[in-house]
Amino acid sequence: MKLWAIIPELIIAGSALSFIPIAGWVKGKNQLIPSYLTLISLLLSLWFAFRMLSWPSFDIFKGTYAIDNFGTVFKILILSGSAITQLLLLFYFRKNSHIAHAPIALLFSTLGAMCISASLDLSLIALFLQMMSLAGYILVALIRKENLANEAALKFFIFAAAALAAMTFGLTFLYGLTGSLDLRIIGMMLMHSNSVWIFISLILILIGYGFEITLVPFHFWAPDVYSGATAPVSGFLSVVPKIAGFAGLLRFLLTAYQNNSADWSFTLAVFSAAAMTFGNLAALRQTSLKRLLAYSSIAQSGLILMAVASADIKSNAVSSAGFYLLAYIFMNLGAFSVTSQVERNFGSDDIILFRGLGRTAPFPAVVMALSFLSLAGIPPLAGFAGKVFIISDVIARGYVWLAVIAAINLTIALYYYVSVVAEIYLKKPANNIKPAGDFYFFLSAAICIAGTIFFGIFPAAALRVTVLLGNILL
Amino acid sequence: MLTINIFLPLFTGFIILLFPKAKGNAVRITALSGTLATLILSAIILAGYDSARGGMQWITDVPWIPSINAGYTIGVDGLSLPVILLTDILMFLVMLYVVKDHDRAKEHAFLFLLMHTGLLGLFSSMDLLLFYLFFEVGLVPMYFIIGIFGSDRRKYAAMKFFLYTRAGSLAMLISFLALYLSADPHTFSLQKIIQAHPFAGSIQTAGFVMLGLLIGFGVKLPTFPLHNWLPDAHVEAPAEGSVILAGVQLKMGAYGILRVMIPALPMAVSHYNLWLILLGIFSMVYSALAAMAQNDLKRLIAYTSINHMGYVMTAAGIWGLTQNENIKQLALNGAAYQIISHGLLTGGMFFIAGMLQHKAGTRDIDRFGGLLGVVPIFSALLGILAFASLGLPGFSGFIAEFQVIGASVGTNIWAAIGIISGLILMTALYLKIVVTMIFGKPPDDIPVVSELSSRNNFIIAALISISLFLGILPGYLTELIESGTKFLTAIL
Repeated sequence: MKLWAIIPELIIAGSALSFIPIAGWVKGKNQLIPSYLTLISLLLSLWFAFRMLSWPSFDIFKGTYAIDNFGTVFKILILSGSAITQLLLLFYFRKNSHIAHAPIALLFSTLGAMCISASLDLSLIALFLQMMSLAGYILVALIRKENLANEAALKFFIFAAAALAAMTFGLTFLYGLTGSLDLRIIGMMLMHSNSVWIFISLILILIGYGFEITLVPFHFWAPDVYSGATAPVSGFLSVVPKIAGFAGLLRFLLTAYQNNSADWSFTLAVFSAAAMTFGNLAALRQTSLKRLLAYSSIAQSGLILMAVASADIKSNAVSSAGFYLLAYIFMNLGAFSVTSQVERNFGSDDIILFRGLGRTAPFPAVVMALSFLSLAGIPPLAGFAGKVFIISDVIARGYVWLAVIAAINLTIALYYYVSVVAEIYLKKPANNIKPAGDFYFFLSAAICIAGTIFFGIFPAAALRVTVLLGNILL
Repeated sequence: MLTINIFLPLFTGFIILLFPKAKGNAVRITALSGTLATLILSAIILAGYDSARGGMQWITDVPWIPSINAGYTIGVDGLSLPVILLTDILMFLVMLYVVKDHDRAKEHAFLFLLMHTGLLGLFSSMDLLLFYLFFEVGLVPMYFIIGIFGSDRRKYAAMKFFLYTRAGSLAMLISFLALYLSADPHTFSLQKIIQAHPFAGSIQTAGFVMLGLLIGFGVKLPTFPLHNWLPDAHVEAPAEGSVILAGVQLKMGAYGILRVMIPALPMAVSHYNLWLILLGIFSMVYSALAAMAQNDLKRLIAYTSINHMGYVMTAAGIWGLTQNENIKQLALNGAAYQIISHGLLTGGMFFIAGMLQHKAGTRDIDRFGGLLGVVPIFSALLGILAFASLGLPGFSGFIAEFQVIGASVGTNIWAAIGIISGLILMTALYLKIVVTMIFGKPPDDIPVVSELSSRNNFIIAALISISLFLGILPGYLTELIESGTKFLTAIL
């Protein structure tokens, strides 16, 4: 057993288990202790993950679990997303009895996400997907008195159960076709199988991953769940499971469906065009900011899926997808941090509440505006650099039509992003109350905005890490 | 040095953000000195430019995103230096114009300074990705300038401006990426792309890439049928916003045609030259006719901008049509001269329209008449600007239009006839302004107007005198521009 190879995961798992009793005991001011400890263990795990970047690739646990740069970089992304979310939870749940419990669910979900990015075995993949989702249900249902949250949690649960069941069904196809649970052996054997069966298994597996990355048409849960859950949790759901979903999907496609079997590249290209178009058109009519962000995240997933569709072992597209996900963590959580602040202060996330924020709260307004402009792809912000990388990969792959669809979609998306910016800066505030925020809110918002600007102007700094995504264990 | 020049306005902007809210006066003075310092710095760069040697100078080249071969590569040549100075002059005059206006001065000054950096960066970029970045950086401040400081329908106009320009620039981005991928090894360096002769084998692919560039630059220029945003944006924007929008931002499109489209895709430009000429001439005639139907002085000037910028598109077509190197150069010289001339004169027109609006509360041409008797100095300035804009010899516009018409006469007589019919319409149009507003019989309810302040008189007079200087002594600027266009002529 090479347990030292999974130190980042062990730290998270150990903390999650040991905090359960602590969370039960703490009272009063001490209720913040699990949150602080969670932050520490996330950062510690992050530090170890960075140290592991220089390691060569190998497998452990009898070939079921990969230690390679591909997995490590995704773990770094997941841990960063979780750490920022933890700061927001500290702000949002202050003086709420759930502040002690939320970090534990967060840790379990993070753990599941990290393991998905490294699993090589079909049964482990199914297991960790469940683990990540299960903790997600708890996070969504955290404010129990609200019916909306309960409804959202139930909807999330039912959709997840159905999607993951369909996916498991697809996994059994692969086992039946090849007689193995190992992604790498499946990859070698699958070439000799009937392409119709391969295609059916691909679609079934896409349902599961598609659920995690809110791929159209498996996205139906997202707007309802995002608007029912609290804003920090919606932010978490829109970032961490998505990264894990893309990590798992990429590893699956590049190892099990290697050499583009069943022409998954083209299939995904069509899916990404549909996701962008649907997400953007639906986002145009939203009045709740969390719903708007839900549809925007559906469209953003479509964009990242373009990179997945253009990916193969040698291309830059995997690195581009990684860079975009990094940018997405900062810009999307930046938007959700301000949404959390408004929701906590005014009890709702209606866009009208953001009106005139530029006058009443200059700093959150800047964070919100820059995050939205970055999501829209305006330079010199991180979202812009990410979009350039992805679109250039798409053209290099030969999907010029997809690049044109993406360009049209970016124009549509600009409308609703800028509409919110207009509410913030061009309109008079509905009330002159300045929304309050504490240190943790400002810290998370500042981290997000600093990342959005820094990686927009100096993308090379992040590309040095994301290019390591090409080191995938085959 | 060039880097300092580009980022000096932005640096000034950040200093301004640190000021306390109440200090409107200090904000204005700082912004004014910042733009003045930038102007001086640009003048030093111009003085240090060796136009006899030509080509790119003051080059800085550092890797920016090494993995995709994008560099922070900047430099100036005879094409970019005049535009940079034009930008600086107009920015300085804008800051002078608003120096007494203390309402939300901090935001106002910061947005203009941010845009200043974007424009200078664009005109210095030698790397396509950097070019694109600066191209869009200017978009956001302009959106806010129209949206915050504009008049009644400002939100609509700002959004329309943003969506049109963004859609255009995304089409341009796809073409840029196609150019990037066409070079081997892939690079964003404009010089290396030009040397690689992209898409030399397939004229059709080159045509599609050119179409993307044409959409991007055509929205900015603007050219028919992509011009729809312009009248709204100008009418709603504050006067100083219109000045920069028409004076410099439209030049981004014209500059892009000369800097990127012609050098990178010379074959496509030659192959599709008739389409470019048709597009240019149709825009010119169409906009002149549309301008005649306007009563709002600002909307009218907005349409005349479309006409004036049509010269650039037509010149690009003539460049592709003719085989004669002298005529090629003549056409491009005219286009580049027009960029500068139009910046000065239309900038002045928008200033004067804004001042009139401020004094009289309206810009409706029909509400004025006989201004010569009431406000002689104002009338003189307005009259001179109008005559200069219609291409009167002695002013810079004449030199520009003369060169383009001259190039077309020797190449395609029908193009020359098209341009001249547009010119005749424009002459009628400006004469109408002069006749009704300055000499005509005043209507009964003429608004009260008074002479402009000496500061405003100085702004208009400065623009007029630069135009006059460039009209009487065109040699210096022509020589500078020629050192830039010579290189373009040599391609093919």
